[in-house]
Amino acid sequence: MPERLALGFDIGGTKIAAGVVDEDGRVLARRGTETPSTDPMAVLDAISTITEELRSDHHVRAIGIGAAGFVDATGSTVLFSPHLAWRNEPLRDAVARRTRLPVLVDNDANASGWAEWRFGAAQNEPDLVLITLGTGIGGAVVIDGQPYRGRYGLAGEFGHMQVVPDGLPCECGNRGCWEQYASGRVLTRRGREAAASGTELGRRLLDAVGGDPEAVTGRQVTAAAEGGDEEAVAWLADVGDWLGVGIAGLAAALDPGVVVIGGGVSDAGELLLGPAREAFSRTLTGRGYRTEARIVRAHLGPEAGLVGAADMARLTARRRRQASPGARVRVRAAGRSGRSPRRRR
Amino acid sequence: MTADHGVGVDIGGTKIAAGLVSEKGQIVHAVQESTPEDADLIAPAVAELVNRLLASDTTGPVGADRVGGIGIGAAGFVDADRATVRFAPNIDWVDEPLAANVGRLVDLPVVVENDANAAAWGEYRFGAGEDTDDLLLVTVGTGVGGGIVHRGTLFRGGFGAAAEIGHMRVVPGGRLCGCGQHGCFEQYASGRALVADARQRVEADDPQASPLLEVAGDADSITGPMVTDLAQQGDPMCVDLLHDAGRWLGEGIATLAAVLDPSVIAIGGGVADAGDLLLDPARAAFEEHLTAHDHRKVAEVRLAALGNEAGIIGAADLARLDH
Repeated sequence: MPERLALGFDIGGTKIAAGVVDEDGRVLARRGTETPSTDPMAVLDAISTITEELRSDHHVRAIGIGAAGFVDATGSTVLFSPHLAWRNEPLRDAVARRTRLPVLVDNDANASGWAEWRFGAAQNEPDLVLITLGTGIGGAVVIDGQPYRGRYGLAGEFGHMQVVPDGLPCECGNRGCWEQYASGRVLTRRGREAAASGTELGRRLLDAVGGDPEAVTGRQVTAAAEGGDEEAVAWLADVGDWLGVGIAGLAAALDPGVVVIGGGVSDAGELLLGPAREAFSRTLTGRGYRTEARIVRAHLGPEAGLVGAADMARLTARRRRQASPGARVRVRAAGRSGRSPRRRR
Repeated sequence: MTADHGVGVDIGGTKIAAGLVSEKGQIVHAVQESTPEDADLIAPAVAELVNRLLASDTTGPVGADRVGGIGIGAAGFVDADRATVRFAPNIDWVDEPLAANVGRLVDLPVVVENDANAAAWGEYRFGAGEDTDDLLLVTVGTGVGGGIVHRGTLFRGGFGAAAEIGHMRVVPGGRLCGCGQHGCFEQYASGRALVADARQRVEADDPQASPLLEVAGDADSITGPMVTDLAQQGDPMCVDLLHDAGRWLGEGIATLAAVLDPSVIAIGGGVADAGDLLLDPARAAFEEHLTAHDHRKVAEVRLAALGNEAGIIGAADLARLDH
């Protein structure tokens, strides 16, 4: 019996990461390159090249692509990407034509959420909410073993929940979006301000990056906090507090069993999650009369996206092969009963 | 005989209403009773009402053998087991085994649903969401409730408490809510908020408030329907009050759409009787605040269609389909 392998891509604003992924979510081989972010055709070329390289050693049966952008609900088209040149890009069919493999495209956070549910922090849970904390905030929802994509594929844009009326301006055009308060950019912003104004922490941050205030990011702030700097600890606690408040809002709407925190900022661990849990408990409605979600750190790190994309593609391709018209009718009939579908793996 | 009917029960703070509902969502027959003050007497009262409903000769050809089950809609946290009310804001229940307590007095299977979830199911099956598989219902009554149907399935959350959207925080350090938190959505976009704002305008001797004061007599007697009635007659202050509530509503549903991405958002509850006086400002604020508005299909915001019968119809249908 040949191994059932799939190829996963994580296409971000700066990097493309790819890997051959097996049925247990293990990455058997890897490739990476910079994203040719201004040219959709060059992105396609990069995907094709990496696919051919990895295919020469591994029998992959499907390709999954997690893309940093809005992907439509059918998993075929990238509607819009803030960091890439994609506008209504029919990525699935373009890659399928070139590679002659079944292809699935999803939002990168959805792919990560799937991976954490299948192989990571939420492995034995019926559902999951994933929050990815990077420069901004992304998110994913898995319910009863199904990715929750919304009607048009755009569910899980948690970073753009409004948490402060007329609050800080957001790149999306609104004000008061959650990601302006609870993401890595808050640490970066404060770090650069401190570096420019020469506070004690600011000087420490400047030293860490070799003197350029604009080179300071949340990473140095986290390192300073881990080194015991009280001000940096307080900044992380502040971000954690906003994180917890937003999770309480999400829990009011979604009532998940577990909330998984991923993305680069989650490297701060308990310095972030401790205050987040405290704020979540403090601000969750109906406390004492409900079972509360656990807040845990993601397990899979930066490869979650490519692992999840590969796994979704593998499972979808298998379902297509196995599906009979009769089975499809039964699934649809069950869907209208008001019962949650059984967990499928 | 096929079970082509269900019984739906709506337990409110003042009355309990029960209806025999056909598979087409029609209420064939309905009865009601006032809600007993003693919480322990509510389950027997529900059972008595249901038995009366099913015994009634006015049900015509529909006999008990054609009733698939009883669905009870209750305000509060209903456990994912669909049998236990973990907490109710207006009734003295904590971990009340309501399905069992009613079930031992009736001959049919009983399920318990959150009232707004039941209403969402009713709207999805027979009302404003009939043409979609992805519906968000927002009920704007005294408070704000909600229900989510995704791909034709009622979404209850991991522990049964999903769609308590009235308690998303929308203003840091904002108005105190009955739930103990500050700044909850329902403190800004509900009937209670509408009345509180109206009273404030009256008490501040706002000259625009005199028509409302005339209708109400005094500030404490102002009700939501009074505000709606006057607004419909063109009273500027009442139009303004509904406009403000609608704006808050629109901002809140923009946040919900960022999370859920539904295709239809239905607005129900008593305040929705104001129609476009509430919905127009809500739609405008929704579109202004929805993230990535220009790069997505935008959910349609419409009025709910079933009025206050949505809960009974939905609960009955959920009970019928289960058995």
